[in-house]
Order: sequence, then structure tokens, then C-alpha cells
Amino acid sequence: MNLRTPRGVKDFLPLEAKWKLELEQKIRSAFHSWGYQEVISPTFEYSDLFALGSQDQRQAYRFFDQNGDLLVLRPDLTTPIARIVATRLKDEAKPLRLAYIANVFRYDEVQVGFQREFYQAGVELLGSSAAAADAEAAALAATIFNEVGVADFKLDLGHTGYIQGILAECKSQSIRQKIWQLLLKKDLVGLKDVVTSGGLPDSIKGLLLKLPRFRGGEALLDQAYSSAPNQLAREAVANLQKIYQYLSEYGLGSQVEIDLSMVKSLGYYTGMVLEGYVPRVGFTLCSGGRYDQLSRRFDSHLPAVGFALGLERLMLVLELQGQRPKQEAHGVFVLPHSWPRALKYAAQEREQGTRVEVDTEGRTEAEALAYARLRRFARVVVAGDTAITELPLAEEGQSC
Amino acid sequence: MLRIAVAKGRLLDSFLILLAKAGYDCDSVFQASRKLIVDIGQADLRFILAKPADVPTYVEYGAADLGVVGKDILVESDRNVAELLDLKYGLCRLVVAVPKDSGICRVQELDFNSRVTSKYPRIAEEYFNSLGIQVEIIPLAGSIELGPMVGLSEAIVDITETGRTLAENGLVIIDTIMESTARLVANGISLKTQREAIAALAGVLEEVV
Repeated sequence: MNLRTPRGVKDFLPLEAKWKLELEQKIRSAFHSWGYQEVISPTFEYSDLFALGSQDQRQAYRFFDQNGDLLVLRPDLTTPIARIVATRLKDEAKPLRLAYIANVFRYDEVQVGFQREFYQAGVELLGSSAAAADAEAAALAATIFNEVGVADFKLDLGHTGYIQGILAECKSQSIRQKIWQLLLKKDLVGLKDVVTSGGLPDSIKGLLLKLPRFRGGEALLDQAYSSAPNQLAREAVANLQKIYQYLSEYGLGSQVEIDLSMVKSLGYYTGMVLEGYVPRVGFTLCSGGRYDQLSRRFDSHLPAVGFALGLERLMLVLELQGQRPKQEAHGVFVLPHSWPRALKYAAQEREQGTRVEVDTEGRTEAEALAYARLRRFARVVVAGDTAITELPLAEEGQSC
Repeated sequence: MLRIAVAKGRLLDSFLILLAKAGYDCDSVFQASRKLIVDIGQADLRFILAKPADVPTYVEYGAADLGVVGKDILVESDRNVAELLDLKYGLCRLVVAVPKDSGICRVQELDFNSRVTSKYPRIAEEYFNSLGIQVEIIPLAGSIELGPMVGLSEAIVDITETGRTLAENGLVIIDTIMESTARLVANGISLKTQREAIAALAGVLEEVV
């Protein structure tokens, strides 16, 4: 028998599971208080729902059911939610605010904080194309990271329209795609080669070379606006300006930066895109944006915006920042010399939400104390015939 | 402070010369030092001295903000890092070579029985795939020229500067896959959080390459 786990999955042992659930609870209550209702979608769906590109297809876990239909373990939650909203929630009042916390599956090289099965929490705001909706999604992302205790969280905003606007000036489809790929890979040497090797109108050459440096605060937007080659690009900047305004109203202006060179690997984004990160940690913490065309695949038209964060990455960054909660001794261990009294006491304590364990092994008082220290109980009591007596549980150094 | 991963040896030496041209004297600090981490206060740089093939890894994971690495190794590593600048030194070519006495002078003449030894299995695989040639790639860690000499392979994919080592071992070049020079690479998040410092360093370097 093979007792190892396959590459890319992992167990959450009690302490880790507890921490993860606490974080999920905080996130869930933020979702709730911002009016986002949680949905639970199936773990697997028909493969064609996801319309995977050839690259993504290799990254999906696919298998056949007994009818020979091709199924896929969900690689994301955005698509299933778009399906739900286009079908079963079609007649609901819009906009709809939906949330999820669930595991997703990608047969990918294991990356930092991204195993092949990993957990995502996210929201989708469907049925609105307002800049206020973009801002709300971004604000909720920042608020969650702030509330769970991540320090120095920053949010970068970009816009697919700006790059599309620039590329619209280029007639050749293959060069457009090439530039898009180079921006995605952040290959500035390759970008420079393509730009200088010709085939591009002069109007956008300089701008493309400058683009990787189009990062910074609000002031950058004015510069981007005046450099914009056409209406599409100008509208993108104007849209970002509005979103930025709203985010300032949320009091998040200082946490938001503009990065107009941001390109996402997921092809479905159509407007604002966002990425969250902290200094000194080399990976993104959340990602998202506006995707107005996705629902067209389900014969509906529902502009939408959303974001997702990776739970494992969140846990990793909290750990790196020294924010992992210490395991404090808590709860009570009961020695049932009198079972009726012990169970009555245990029931009362449990009613209060206290962690209670009643000894099932006939331990002596000394054994009970030793066990309680190992299990990090705060108290040990003996339930006798006449009374509940607490045993002194002196901290014997730091039991680890 | 910017953390920069570089491999000891020629890549580092040439990079220090470049930094000196840009006005940073770092050379003296490295003299007779066997440390793996070297701080250069004046330039506000911390050097992380890593193995060449590991440089992209340090940068992708954010253990280093920047890295100096050959384009060949960068492509082979397939790591997710931003490529900022062509430093234009360390020029070499990644080539396909066969024993002189094999009589083969074009890659297309390698048949389906051919085995290719290489330190660059990923690039080699992609290259042969793109030509529709089916060969067996055998990854090796070094001394690639040995492959054909001991009957392990019919061809090799390896880097060469002058071609002299290849010639000395009875090998001739039949194709060049790519040219490679040293590149300045960066972690994607460091590009955001250390924007000014990285732009400043890349700026002065760009002027002296």
C-alpha cells in the first residue's frame, strides 16, 4: 500500500486546519457583511463548460464518466458561478453579489502556495458595469487582507483596455499576440527587440517601451491619459480614474497603485484588473478583474467583476510576517470520578463554547495533568461525588 | 536594499566591472571572501552567490529581487521572472554538435534512433519538436562532449563560446539554436515594491552596457 500522498496535495493537521477555518470564518463574515452570499458549486463539471485554451487543458484534471462524457475537476470558481447565474439565477434581481470558499484543481508545476489542489476564496459581482462595482470588489479584497492581519498590503490596478488600445494601432495580429505574450512574461528585452525591429507605427513605439515603467500613484493616470493613442486607451484611463476616486472614498487610496503594464494569463478579463501583494514576499496574494464577456458563452449578457485569493498563500504570508496565531492553552480536561457529575459539568461548559474532554482512560491525577499539558488544556478538574475540584496545572516550562 | 542573485565566476566578474563603470566599486569587497552573502553598502546591494542554474529560482520565489543569469539558463529554467535588461556580455551560442566522423552535416539527418545528450533538456526537446525531429534527449549535468565519445549519444546540445572545446573533442557544429548573453532579471513583486531602486539600477546599467 502506498501511504504517501500524490504530488500537489496536502493534509491540514488539527492546528493548521483550525487556523485555516478561522481565517475562512473571518473572510466569510466579511463577505456576509458586504452583502455577498456564498454558493457551493459541484467539484466537477462538464469539461466544455470551462472552454479551456490548449495550455489550460493540460492543466486541468479531466476524466470520463460512465456515459463517456468528459468531466473536469473545477480549475476555478468564476466559470461555474457564471453558469449558475446565467441559468438557475437568471431571473434574480441584478446586480448579484456571490461568494465562494472552495478547493480548485490544477495539474500544474507546484508553485509557492499553489499546490495542485488549493483553496480559493473570492467574490463575483454580476450584472453591473459601473466603476463603483469595480471599486467595491477591489475595496473588499483590500479590506479582507487588512482585517485578517496582513501588514503592508498593496493593491495594483491595471486595465486591459489600455494595452488593447495601444495594440489596436498595430495592424498585424501576430505582432499583437507576440507583444501581449511578452508583456505577460514581463520579457522587456524581447519587447524591446520586437518594438525596435519595425512593423509598428511610430505613435506607439515609445509608449510600448515606456509601458513597463507605467507604475505608480494616481498622478501616473494623467501621464497615461496624455500618452494614450486612441479613444479605447483614453476610456480605460478614465475608467481607472473613476475607480481610483471611489477607492479613495473607501479610505484605501494609500494602498492602491496603478500598474498599466499588468497583463493577466486568464484571457477573459475585459476591463480593470487587480493584483494584491506585500513587500518582501515574491508572489501575488489575490488576483481578479472585470470580465464582461464570459457570460456570453451561456447566451446571457452579464457584465461582472470579481477577485479570488489563495488561502494557502494567505497563510504563508501571515506566517512570514509572524502573524500566525500562537496556540494558547484553553479548555478543560475532566477526570470523571463521578460520571453523572462529570457529564453534567461537561455539558454546562460545552454550552459556554468551552473545549471539554472527559477522560475515557481511567487516568490518575498525575497522568491527567501530564496529558492536559501535552494537549494544551488550560484547566484540569476532578468531578467527585460531592464537588468539582480544580487541580493546579502549573506551567512546567514551555511544553512544545 | 536590493538583493541580487549572481553566480560566482565570469558572470559575476563581468557584472562587477559593469557596476564599476556605473560608479559602484564593489570589487574590493569580494576579494578573498568566501561568504555566500556579500553586502555592498555604497551601492545598497546584497549579493546572493548562487549556482548559475539556481539564480532564476531565487528570483521567482522572491528570495532575491534581482538576478544576473545567462539567457540560455533563463530559458531552460522556464521560471516566472521579469527580464529587464540585456547586459550584453557572456556571449555564447547554444549549438547542436555531432562527431566529425559521423558525416552528418544537417540536423535533419539525425534519425529516429538518435540520442542527444544535453544540460539543456527542455530547450533541446522544444528545438527538435519544432523541427519535427524525434530524438531521445538524455539529460546530463556536465561534460556533455563525453556523450558521443563513449557511445552514450549521437549528438549533443551545449553552449560554446569559441567552439574550441567541441573541436578538441572531435565534434562539429551543425546548427545554432540560440545566442545567449547575460540578462538582468527581476521578481515580479519586487518590480512593484522596489520600483524606484530597481529602475535606478537598471537605468545606470543600461547606460554602460
